[in-house]
Amino acid sequence: MNIGRFLLRRLLVALPVAIGILFLTFMLIRIGDQDPVAMLAGPMADAPMLARIRAELMLDQPLLTQFWGYLGRLVQGDLGRSWQGNAPVTHEIAAHLPATLELVTLAVGLGTLLGVPLGLHAAERPNGWFDQISRFGSLVGFSLPTYWLGLMAIFVFFYLLGWAPAPMGRVSMMVTPPATVTGSVLIDSLLAGNWEAARSAAAQLVLPVGCFTIVATAPIIKHTRAIAIEVMGSDYIRYARACGFPRHIVRRIALRAALVPVITFVGSEFTSLLAAASLIEFVFAWGGLGHWGLNAILLGDFAAVQGYVLTLAIASVLIFALVDLTVLLLEPRAQARA
Amino acid sequence: MSATTTAPSALDRLIGVVRRSPTFAVGFGIILAFAVLAVFAEVIAPLPPTLSFPYDTLKPPGTGRFVLGSDGNGMDVLSRVIHGARYAFGIALPAGTIMAVVGIPLGLIAGWRGGWVDEVLLRVLDVLRAFPTIILALAIVAATGQGFLNVILVVGFLDSPIFARIVRAEVLALRNATFVRAAVAAGNPEWRVLLVHILPNAILGATAQLPLRMAWAVRISATLAFIGIGVQAPAPEWGAMIRQGAEYVISGEWWVALFPGLALIALVLGLNLTGDGLSDLLDPKRRATGK
Repeated sequence: MNIGRFLLRRLLVALPVAIGILFLTFMLIRIGDQDPVAMLAGPMADAPMLARIRAELMLDQPLLTQFWGYLGRLVQGDLGRSWQGNAPVTHEIAAHLPATLELVTLAVGLGTLLGVPLGLHAAERPNGWFDQISRFGSLVGFSLPTYWLGLMAIFVFFYLLGWAPAPMGRVSMMVTPPATVTGSVLIDSLLAGNWEAARSAAAQLVLPVGCFTIVATAPIIKHTRAIAIEVMGSDYIRYARACGFPRHIVRRIALRAALVPVITFVGSEFTSLLAAASLIEFVFAWGGLGHWGLNAILLGDFAAVQGYVLTLAIASVLIFALVDLTVLLLEPRAQARA
Repeated sequence: MSATTTAPSALDRLIGVVRRSPTFAVGFGIILAFAVLAVFAEVIAPLPPTLSFPYDTLKPPGTGRFVLGSDGNGMDVLSRVIHGARYAFGIALPAGTIMAVVGIPLGLIAGWRGGWVDEVLLRVLDVLRAFPTIILALAIVAATGQGFLNVILVVGFLDSPIFARIVRAEVLALRNATFVRAAVAAGNPEWRVLLVHILPNAILGATAQLPLRMAWAVRISATLAFIGIGVQAPAPEWGAMIRQGAEYVISGEWWVALFPGLALIALVLGLNLTGDGLSDLLDPKRRATGK
């Protein structure tokens, strides 16, 4: 099996999808009725000035010409400038991405640690009391809007109990933040040995990560349960049982078979939470990529919206490749196919 | 579908459904309750939803005429939550109709014929998989204007391919079934095979999915309103109300955001339970083995 060739093939399949997504967003935001030129120029601008800005931004060109120009610069690693931040989009993405990754990684990690064992346990006795409770619980989790959960958590833990710090940003304004190394304030302050900042960063993380974990866990429980039930009903498990293996060995065989679909699902979960993070970031003034992208969409910051969408698409391609690679290493059948 | 010789009465059937899937019964009960609220909102709500009492802003629940309190404009939270059911159904029903009307034929053709329709559908699904729908919906509504109708159209059409995929999968499973081959061999025209032989069998799985997709539609439209896109306050839409309440949460006025959120969760949960229960009821395999 050649991993390099496998990844290359993956990339070739992903490329048209990525271009399709880019084209879609590119056209969408331009067809819309948002006019960034008027916003940039301010209320005092006259017609010639508007025209000059329009020409500078090349917004007076035909749409397809603009798109080709964008693709050309994209290949050179230039995503254009964000108008609201007045900085290159690549810099803005690099500055905002770690905060979102920190949030999503923690939530998906905790969600997996919680959801997989719960789902497996529920699948042991389908329709038993534990299964009923976890099934209802995960349906409730499915129905919870993240942003509302965040608001309620802020009310209870910040306003009422005073346990959580003010829901504003990633580190208290009272402490000196550490120098940026990884972009995660918690890790950076630990690296710098700045315990005060580390404690503040950890405290800021608790509420958003907690809310996000609840939302992330629900689908993981549901899918793990379904996968495990299917595995437990399969012929080879029945065979293993018929052979008289003790329960823990049967369980181990089942777990191994269930692992592959569970990993695939967690991967797709990560991708969708990367986008859903924008809401929880909005509530907690987190200032991550999601928050930034949301603002870009609301303000009609064309280059930033494209950069945001492109980042999400690339992240999803990378995650799916990673998932496939893991599956490839775990499953002999997939190796034979590759 | 029952094999008994005497036709069971409607009540017997109802009891049978409740017994076979309490999940469905509870979920459907919740939906019915909200439907009653939506239809009779004017009669049930104690006050008009956008009537403002400028001297009674942010009154906690239970003060005077405000059972669930009043919001920052001095409007009655309870009345607004009740009227919010109209917006929820106003999104869910038309968006669900669009999903079914677009998704079912698309899935039928893609699954039966294959060819370019299938190819395009699969590519669109690829894009949707790599591209979180919430961001796509946001971008489209932000770009194309923020009317209520626009939100319905965007939500409905965005979800149609997903609905089509469900139908397509059912059709693929049926395509080589003996009864379908027999129907083709007997000389039925293609449309007849599709409509009379495949559709009734493929539609079961799709029916169970519809409430789940409608739950998604209710959620996403509320999310859009929360962000400030789509339905705008002071319209009594749950997401817009949570947005209004967000600024008061830090200063302790919790009721403005809490109650519309609870209503939203209850309806979405009802739709999800209904979908979950329907797939139990409709799946013959699960029915036979008691799940």
